[in-house]
Amino acid sequence: MGKTLTEKILARAAGLPEVTAGQEIAARPDYVLAYDWPGQTDVIFREIREGFGIERLDGPERFAMFIDHMTSGENPKDLAFHARTRQSCKEYGIEVHEGLGIGHHVASELGYAAPGAFVVHFDGHISQLGAFGALAIGLRRSLIEAFVSPAVTMTVPHTVRVDFTGKLRPGVMARDVFHQLVDTLGPDSCRFQMVEFGGPGLRELSTDDLQTLGGLAMFLGALSAVVDYEEDDARLLQARRRARRDFGAVSSDADASYAAKHTLDLDTVEPLVVAPHTPRNVRRLQECAGLEVHRGYIGSCVSGRIEDIRAAARVLEGRRVKPGFVLNVVPTSAAILQAAEAEGLVAILAAAGANIPRSTCDYCYGRAGTMDAGQRAVSTGTLNVQGRMGHVDSEIYLCSAATIAASAIEGRIADPRKYLEGRP
Amino acid sequence: MSDVALRGRVAYVFPEPDFDVDQIVGVENCGEQDMNILLRVAMRSFDPEFAAKVRPGDLIVGGRNFGYGHPHYPAMQYMRHLGVGAVVAESFAPGFWQNEINMGFIPLACPDILSAVQRWDEIEIRWSGTIINHTRGIELAYEALSARNRAIIAAGGFIPYLRQKLENRVREF
Repeated sequence: MGKTLTEKILARAAGLPEVTAGQEIAARPDYVLAYDWPGQTDVIFREIREGFGIERLDGPERFAMFIDHMTSGENPKDLAFHARTRQSCKEYGIEVHEGLGIGHHVASELGYAAPGAFVVHFDGHISQLGAFGALAIGLRRSLIEAFVSPAVTMTVPHTVRVDFTGKLRPGVMARDVFHQLVDTLGPDSCRFQMVEFGGPGLRELSTDDLQTLGGLAMFLGALSAVVDYEEDDARLLQARRRARRDFGAVSSDADASYAAKHTLDLDTVEPLVVAPHTPRNVRRLQECAGLEVHRGYIGSCVSGRIEDIRAAARVLEGRRVKPGFVLNVVPTSAAILQAAEAEGLVAILAAAGANIPRSTCDYCYGRAGTMDAGQRAVSTGTLNVQGRMGHVDSEIYLCSAATIAASAIEGRIADPRKYLEGRP
Repeated sequence: MSDVALRGRVAYVFPEPDFDVDQIVGVENCGEQDMNILLRVAMRSFDPEFAAKVRPGDLIVGGRNFGYGHPHYPAMQYMRHLGVGAVVAESFAPGFWQNEINMGFIPLACPDILSAVQRWDEIEIRWSGTIINHTRGIELAYEALSARNRAIIAAGGFIPYLRQKLENRVREF
């Protein structure tokens, strides 16, 4: 019986000739990533020092800290929190990355998203590194094991395979694809399992698209996501060139064993909206069209990349955000902001009346751009649970960047396709 | 170790699929760390007298994919503070499930639980893999926990477990 990509990566990380889904193993992470967050990083540093008496990390070059949350204000408490973390990182020889954008994405720019690598974080959205051929798992509070042990103990997960066919139609984006998967397969369809994306439709999806799909995997119940590229796929080669270490290309065997197999024809996907207050609440855009909205947020670790910004600019070029509507377009990284400037997208969006703040996680969870009671947002943030972006009496409708741009023009949930007619 | 993991009553049933546990304390309090405040606000919309009725050793019951969404810690911290010892649900969202094991709590997946219990039934959970409803004379199997997860629960949470593991004194059973 052949092996899945996940089994192959974990076998190497566990130092075993092969592993099989269901097996309990100890796997050594190639990279241990975290973002600075109260209750996580402060607890880890306190515990490893005081509880475990750790003075030196095993392979400190494997570790990286991202400062991307609590970065948009000048709050003295936040500044002091980050300062303590920088100090701890210095003491343990951990590289700190800040001012570059959202860590889950910046990790790919900095080469941590190496094809074949086993990466751990506490946060589950790190699953997006699957778009680069890595296996990245959010361990939550078990991440501390990676700081005190050479390896983390885990059960090799089973895999659910999703094959894509066809091609996305104009005005339809990866967010729509993901929301379609939640609706079709169910929010618990991949519980405790990996979701593996493959099939001929992969050619028609970009790395940005696959980061979006991979980064949201937890809302299918998945532990993480991987992409099963052909070994000569240009995206895999590019990721290997950028990688800190070359682990070689890894793909699943044709006769690998899957817990379930599904196929999605990309041509059939339509713009979708996820209504409050749960990520499973998927609706056809038409069902929500016309609903008054007051805020738009294009950004987050799962969206806010150059293709999201291009999509918004394509819709908004020569048009205006409706007076009273606030549109925040927050590029996922500083490099993406630079690219958007170079392409003239920032000028288009600014002329339309959008705000384009520097990259941060803070808009996604209401620390910046905080919503008030009675407000309704369209958002590419990670999720729409009640109170996520501010007041508990505000509402979040998740949708694509294109749908948000169209909705910003009307101040109502709107179909982007009518604004794309006659545009390339 | 005794085979009886827990004996108590079903203190509440949350049958809704994909239940967002933040609703237990109210979304506006999902980041609240002050137990005195949580004791005042939690369960208000379900049973305002909940804290007075629950007894140590009781458990709560949930539906399919319990803990979906973006679960925060205070809901179960509140439950543990009142002595609730386990949550038995049809199935769990993985993030919630592992988090609660890491806190030393017992989340058990039991696909038939909703049809087998009612509030205040007397329940016994056995490590050997069964849930017994003494009120109704029903015995159900639950999905086995791995040796590692049982050891984490027995140690009282992930950090104490890790300390035992590094000192080679993990109790597996």
